[in-house]
Amino acid sequence: MFVKKNIQTGLVGLLLVLATTSISHAQVFAYPEDTRPSSLLPFFADDMSAVRMVELIFDGLVFKNKRGDFQGALAKDWTVDPDNRGIRFTLREGVKWHDGRPFSAEDVVFTVNAAKNPKTIFTGSGKFNFIAAAKAEGRNRVYFSFRRPVTDPQARFVFKIIPKHKFNGTAINRRDAFSRKPVGTGPYRVTRFTLRQITLEVNQDYWSPARISRVVMQHTPDKAAQVNLLQYSGGKAGVQAVIFLPPKNIPLFENSDTIALEPYHTVSWWYVAFNHENKALGDPVVRNAIVTAIDRDELLQANLGRGDILTGPFTEASPFYDFDIEMREPDSEQASEMLQRAGYVMKDGVRTKGKTKLSFRFVLDKEMPEQQSLFLGIQAQLKKVGIKVDPLYLDHAAYKETVWKREKYDLTLNVWSFEEVEDVRPLFHSSGSLNFINYNNPKVDQLLDAAQSAADYKTYKRQMKALHALVHKDLPYMFLWSLDVYSGISKRVRKVFIAPYYYFTTFREWELKR
Amino acid sequence: MNRLVGFAGVVSKRISGAIALLIGASSIIYLTVRMAPGNAVDAITPMGTPDDIKQQLAADFGLNEGPVKGYFSWLSRAFQGDLGDSLVVAMGSRVVDEALPAYWITLRLSALALLFCLAVAFLAALATSHHQRRSGLMAAPIYVFTTIPSFIMAVFLIHGINSFVRYNISQDVIFTLDWYALGQPSDSIVPTLIGGLALVFSDGLFVDYLNALRAELTKLKTSQFIMSVKSRGASVWPHIIRNLWVPLVAGYAARLPLVLSSVVIVEKIFGIEGAGFLLIEAAKVRDLPMVVGVSLLFTMTVIIVDLLASLVRVATDPREVARGA
Repeated sequence: MFVKKNIQTGLVGLLLVLATTSISHAQVFAYPEDTRPSSLLPFFADDMSAVRMVELIFDGLVFKNKRGDFQGALAKDWTVDPDNRGIRFTLREGVKWHDGRPFSAEDVVFTVNAAKNPKTIFTGSGKFNFIAAAKAEGRNRVYFSFRRPVTDPQARFVFKIIPKHKFNGTAINRRDAFSRKPVGTGPYRVTRFTLRQITLEVNQDYWSPARISRVVMQHTPDKAAQVNLLQYSGGKAGVQAVIFLPPKNIPLFENSDTIALEPYHTVSWWYVAFNHENKALGDPVVRNAIVTAIDRDELLQANLGRGDILTGPFTEASPFYDFDIEMREPDSEQASEMLQRAGYVMKDGVRTKGKTKLSFRFVLDKEMPEQQSLFLGIQAQLKKVGIKVDPLYLDHAAYKETVWKREKYDLTLNVWSFEEVEDVRPLFHSSGSLNFINYNNPKVDQLLDAAQSAADYKTYKRQMKALHALVHKDLPYMFLWSLDVYSGISKRVRKVFIAPYYYFTTFREWELKR
Repeated sequence: MNRLVGFAGVVSKRISGAIALLIGASSIIYLTVRMAPGNAVDAITPMGTPDDIKQQLAADFGLNEGPVKGYFSWLSRAFQGDLGDSLVVAMGSRVVDEALPAYWITLRLSALALLFCLAVAFLAALATSHHQRRSGLMAAPIYVFTTIPSFIMAVFLIHGINSFVRYNISQDVIFTLDWYALGQPSDSIVPTLIGGLALVFSDGLFVDYLNALRAELTKLKTSQFIMSVKSRGASVWPHIIRNLWVPLVAGYAARLPLVLSSVVIVEKIFGIEGAGFLLIEAAKVRDLPMVVGVSLLFTMTVIIVDLLASLVRVATDPREVARGA
């Protein structure tokens, strides 16, 4: 009896000790990310988890506020030259880097020179091409001259400023220790960086200090685990937010007392890409039959939840989306007839025309959410019309090499995401840098070239709508859907505003109710 | 003197073998990762990155040389003590700075788990060595539960515990613990404890140890010198423990590689940020220097533990010197 009682007491004690490990979460804003940030050096922040984290650590000269206007961050104010060939920023005074050193115009000039140094190898270097030169005018003023006139040039100065004193020269290597030990001027500074967690503490010297004292980003690749963390903690322990809730999980939180659903705007759409090098897929009839055979709405509802089925390469919120274009209704009989009429006859369950067999290799990225169930749905629907697809599941690095570099695939499923509005020229122009489908349509090229040199936005918009109609007909891709995008955020978090793309731009105003 | 010569002989023999083994292992790992589809540049650059940028990055990462030439460049740097920089998983860190702390976590987990396994197996062997019938009855369930592969055991434990805690939360009962987050980054010791249990009671490790110890105990208890100690009325345990020391240490050294191979999966499943976890993450993104560096730490541990076991055998049993340990 005595022994049993002692064991019970011991177990309760153990539980209490272990319980203390979670109490420390109480005053912290923790959130999971699907991927680990590749680098916290702003030039090399290529993935979305890095973009979001950099937003908390660094400042640009300006930022886009809740109303969509550009407001000064490190810049107090600015004047644009009358001919739009230059801009002069007056910098905020008294700003300090996280290591206590004062921020100055030299840091701004250094950032631009580093970005323009050809030895700093990063994908966003093109965004700095418009700047001809940067010049510090004393400690608090900096002048930029442009290569050509730029309308509303302040919008281009959202890039983050890095400290000159932390680097030996303007040639910056992505393996610099700064990637993991960044020093910014932003509302938070990094205090801990491990394989799966990054901890940020509030920067008390910030010109407008943040309300939440600590932010913890944890790497949790499994979406179901992210949802569990939010659902079972009710936003009290574990995590206080999930950046992107899979649409099928949204109903879990619709009537929640503890979690609020916060919609936000992203520009991304799902697609099935056809490799036009494949003789059968180069045939518009086959592409049309595939799109007609597949019930996209059924796939979306069954696997992902809510979203909009698309007719072209723009989301419904895009200014370029043409609502007059009629949706293809799914009809497997009609798809079969199309193929039959074009001479594709059924042989052993697969349609064949001469030596061309409608049998394809469907390459999938293992990291894509729901890719397996989506593929099975597509496979079953195509089988009905005599089209055979065999899956090849690859891990992310192998997928990139196989599909994007070597183009050894027939079909693939993926998502395109864009920063502000869709720039589809690289996708569909025959010389486009993202044209991994080997698409070549002179009419599309002509339209994209004309749009590029459009004199005004109205003309550009009209041409994009024409492009929508053209690719809807020609089907370089099967355009699938754009998902309804919601974050799940604890109701303890107040004054939430989610900035498009950057997410945490106004995070310093968020509050965490005790 | 003889024993010192024996030590020196064992050490020199093992060191020469170790160097060959390290070169062999590192070359296989390096070439396998290099030849796998995809590389670190593909892993970190977004779609549409211009080819010239990719080529510059490949040169910066040392991936522009052929695999064989690249391996020898890496080897020459490794001999100078430079295992390189992480290319992706811990960009901005040297491999050594990231791998060593992670490896310490792994080593501590594996060594302690194996020690716990040894202690439990030793006690179980003592308790059952006298009673053949009782031990026969116990054997079946022990076999069934402890020969499950470690990854299945880990998944079973994680789902069992998470379901239990979720059920309790749904009933508004007890836990404010984030145990349901097993597998998530956490400062809690719980994942390590449960991960350790998954290591100990899986892959037949416990049964293997138990059987070996029971056989050794039975042999010792029926040996002539124990009988004579018994007949003099003295305690036999000091003699038994002394004679069990060598098989215990040898068994520990022999089983450590098995535990180190299981720990890779167990760490991944429980989210323990050790070298096993680091190895899987690095392999996924083709972080070549990190994969080779961490793998070498695993290989070196096996070599060192084997060497230490040989030295213990030489120290405790002079006959081992003649056998060359």
